[in-house]
Amino acid sequence: MSLAGTERRRQLFTASIGTALMLVMGLALIWGFRLATHMRANIIALQTASTLQTYPEEISHQLNALRDRLEVRAYSGQALADLQATVKRFDQELRVLSGSVDADSPQLGHALLLWHQYAPVLEPVVSFGGQPYVDSDNAGSSLSREGREHYAEVKRAQLFASENARPLQTQLANLATSLERTSSAGATRLRSLLMGGVFAALVLAVVAAYFQLSRARHERAAREAQEQTRDILKTVREGFFLLDAHYRIGSVWSEALTRMFGRNDFAGLTFEELLEDLVPQSTLATAMKYIKLLWGDRAHENLMKSINPLGQLEITTDNGHGGKETRYLQFDFHRVMGPEGIKHVLCSVGDITSSVLLARELHDSQENANAQLDMMVGLMHVDPLQLVSFLDTAETGLKLVNTILKEPARTDAEFRKKLAGLFREMHTIKGEASALNLKSVAMRVHTLEDMVGDCKKKPELSGNDFLPMVLKLDELLAHLRNVREMAARVTALKDTSAGSAATAAADFAASAHAPLAPAPITAMAPAPAAPAAPPAPAAALTAPAAAAPPARSANQERPARRVEELSPALQSMAERLAQDHAKRFRLTLNGLAEVPAPYTATIKDCLIQMLRNAAVHGIEPPEVRRAQAKKDTGNVQVDFRRTAEGYELLFEDDGAGIAPEALKAAAVRRQLITEEDAELMDTRAAMALIFRPGFSTQEDITMDAGRGVGMDVVARSVYALGGKIGVSTHPGKFTRFKIVLPATDSLSTAVA
Amino acid sequence: MLYEQELKTFVEGTTNFFEVAAQQPASIGSPYLMEGAPAVHEYTGVIKISGKREGVVYFTAPKAMLTVLLMKMQENDFSHETMRDLVGEVANTISGNARRDFGRDFVISVPSVLSGEKPEIPQRPGQRSFIIPINWRSHSAKLVVSLT
Repeated sequence: MSLAGTERRRQLFTASIGTALMLVMGLALIWGFRLATHMRANIIALQTASTLQTYPEEISHQLNALRDRLEVRAYSGQALADLQATVKRFDQELRVLSGSVDADSPQLGHALLLWHQYAPVLEPVVSFGGQPYVDSDNAGSSLSREGREHYAEVKRAQLFASENARPLQTQLANLATSLERTSSAGATRLRSLLMGGVFAALVLAVVAAYFQLSRARHERAAREAQEQTRDILKTVREGFFLLDAHYRIGSVWSEALTRMFGRNDFAGLTFEELLEDLVPQSTLATAMKYIKLLWGDRAHENLMKSINPLGQLEITTDNGHGGKETRYLQFDFHRVMGPEGIKHVLCSVGDITSSVLLARELHDSQENANAQLDMMVGLMHVDPLQLVSFLDTAETGLKLVNTILKEPARTDAEFRKKLAGLFREMHTIKGEASALNLKSVAMRVHTLEDMVGDCKKKPELSGNDFLPMVLKLDELLAHLRNVREMAARVTALKDTSAGSAATAAADFAASAHAPLAPAPITAMAPAPAAPAAPPAPAAALTAPAAAAPPARSANQERPARRVEELSPALQSMAERLAQDHAKRFRLTLNGLAEVPAPYTATIKDCLIQMLRNAAVHGIEPPEVRRAQAKKDTGNVQVDFRRTAEGYELLFEDDGAGIAPEALKAAAVRRQLITEEDAELMDTRAAMALIFRPGFSTQEDITMDAGRGVGMDVVARSVYALGGKIGVSTHPGKFTRFKIVLPATDSLSTAVA
Repeated sequence: MLYEQELKTFVEGTTNFFEVAAQQPASIGSPYLMEGAPAVHEYTGVIKISGKREGVVYFTAPKAMLTVLLMKMQENDFSHETMRDLVGEVANTISGNARRDFGRDFVISVPSVLSGEKPEIPQRPGQRSFIIPINWRSHSAKLVVSLT
C-alpha cells in the first residue's frame, strides 16, 4: 500500500468526520435558536398573561368605583377614564397575546370568548361621553337622563363582571400556567440541546485533536523519512537521479553527483546537457538513443542492461586545481513504473575509476607476467655468453644514444643532426635483439625508432619532440636491466648441476647485481661525429677506408666473442624471418670461426642486417619462385675466409636480385634524388643507393625493413674498419655482397 | 615509469614562468638521462613529490641567467635573497602546474630553495633522472625530474 494512498484516505476520513460534526453542530444551533425564539415568545406571553389575569378584577373594582361615584353624584370622570384605560389596555394586550400564543390553546380560546361577551357589555360604559349630572338649585345635582342610562349600563356591566370576571381571570391564569409549563419544557429542551451541542463540540474537539495528533505523528514520520532520504542521498557513494519523459533530471539527487560531475545544478537539466561537455558527440548520440529506447515499453529491461552503452563511460572533469582529470563512470538505468506505464527512469551512476585503473593495472601486470614468462622461456634457448654480449652491446649502444641526446642543441639543424646517429645505434641493437629472438627488446627499440622517424618528418624540431624519446630510452634501459636479472635467474636454474655453466651463471648474477652501467651514464662514450655526407654513388662500391665516416667507438669496447657462437642465433633468426615474411630459405654459414676478434662485432652486425635484407627483399615467396622455375626453398650462403690482403665475407642469396630502376624510383619517392638525377644515374650509381641513409625500397616500415638504416650501418661499420663493401646482382637470379676487410695488424692504423 | 604528459607538465610549468615573468619564452634543449645527481648551478628550487610518484623535481639555474631575468622583470635588487626568491618562484610555478594537472594523485611539497654548487638534494641512489635543458636567451638552466 502506498504512502500517498494512505494519506489520501486519512484526509478523506478526517474531512468526513469534520463535516458530520459540523452538520450536527449547525443543526443543534439552528434548533436551539428556534427554541430560544419560541421560549422568548412564551416568556413574553407568560408575562402578558400574568399581567392580564389581574385586569378582570381591576375592571370590576373600577366599575364599582364608577357606580359608587354615580350614586353619590360625585365626580365620575376620573373613574371612567381609569376604566377606559384599563379596558383598552386589556383589549390590546389580549390581542397581542392571542397573536403570540398558539391559537389552539383552549385557555386562550375561553378567555377570548369571555372577553368577546364582556367587551360589548363594557362598550356602552367606556364609550360614554355625555354629562351624567344635571344641577338644579332646588334639588341639587341629580342624574341626567344620560346619566341614568349610563348608570344602568354600569350596573349591567357590574353584574356581568360579578359573574364572568373570575372565570376570565381563571382562564388567563390557566393560560399563564400553560405558558409557564411550555416555557419550562422549552428550557429543558434547550438545555438538552445545549448539552448535546457541547458534547458534540467536545467530540469534535477530541476527533480533531486525535487527527491533529495523528497528522502531526504522520508529518513527523514523513519529516524523519525525508531526513533519512536526505542523509542517504548525502552519504551514498553512487549518484542517483530520476529522468522524466523529457529526459530531464528531477529535483532530488544524491550529492555524489556533485563530486562526479563538478556541478550542482542538476534539477531540470536534460541528460544530454549533463553529458555534452564530457563525452564525444558520437558517444552522446548513442547514449541518447539508449535513453529513448528505455522509455519504450517493448524492450525488456534485462536486454536493455546488456546493451547499455554507458556501462563504462570515460569523462574528463575539473580536478579542483584548475586542471582536468579523467574519470570512469558506470551508468545503470531502471524503469520506475506507475499505473499508466513508465513514470520515471531511475539512473544510478557509480564512479568506477579505481576499479578500471585497478583492472588495467592487473591486466598490465598479467601481460607483464606473461611477457616475462615468454621472455624467460625465450632466454632458456639463448646462449648465455651471447646474451651477456648482447646486453653489454645494447647498453653501450643506448649510452651512445643518450650521449647523442645530451649534445646541446637549440636549432632545428642541431636537433635534426642527432636523428641519423640515433637511427643507426638503435637499428644495430634491434638487429641483434631480433637475432637472439628477444622480441620484447626488439619491439621497444622499434618503437623508439618510430619516434625518431616521426621526428624526421616534422618540419621544425625542438626539444619537446625529443621528450617521448628520452622516456622510451629510460623504459628500454629499465627493460634491459630486467632482462639481465631474468637471464641470471634462468641461467642459474638451467645450470645448477652443470659445472661448466656455473661460470656463466656467476657472470650473469654478477652483472645483474652490479649497477646497470659499469660507469655512470655521464661517462658514456662521446657522441659520434656528425654524420658525414653519404659516400658518392660511384665510390660506394669500393670506398677506401679513409673515405668512411667514423663508426661508433663502442665497437671497439664490445666484448670479443666468436662470431661462430652466433650461428645458432642466426639460424633461428633466419627461421623467424622466413616465418614472418612467408618465405622459405636455407642459411648456410661457412668459415665464421675464422673471424678475428676485432671484427666480430662488425661481422655480426653486417650478417644480421644482410640476412634481414635477404629475407625481406631478396628471397621471393615460394609461389613466385615456382613461377620462375626456381626451387621453393631459397638459399642464403655466407662465406668468410682469409685472403692475402686480409679477410673477405661473401653474402649471397638466390632471390630476386636488385633492379637498378626500382632503386632509382624508390630514391626519387623518398626524395633522396631528383628525377633528373635518376635519369643521369648509371647502374653502379643506382646500386650504391642502397648504402645511403634513409634509403629503402619498402614503403611500409616493419620490424625488419623500411627505415633505410641497415645497409648504411653495414657500410659505415666496414668503412670504419678500413674495409670496403661491394654488391653485384642479376635481377631474378641472385644478389651478392662482398665485404673486404684489411688484415688485423693494419687495423690500428686504419681506424686511427 | 614516468608518462610523457607528466614530464610535459613540469616542462610547461618552467617555460611558462619565463613567458609570464620575462615576456620572453624559454625553449627546451635536447633532453637526456643521467644516473646519480647531476651537477647543479648556483641556485636550485626543489619540490618533493609523493603519492602516485615519489621523488624530486628541481630547477637549477646559474646566477647570470637569474640576473638577466631579474633585469627583464624590471627588478633592481640582485641580492642573494632575491635570486633565491626567484628560483623559489619558478619551483612554485612548476608545483602549481603539477597540482593543476595531477590533482590529488600527487602530493606536492612546498618548494624549498638551495644555493651553492653542492646542495643536498634528496635523491635515491642509482636513480635515473630526466635532465631537460631550459634555454633562455643565451643562458641555459636545467629542469631535473627524478621520480619513480
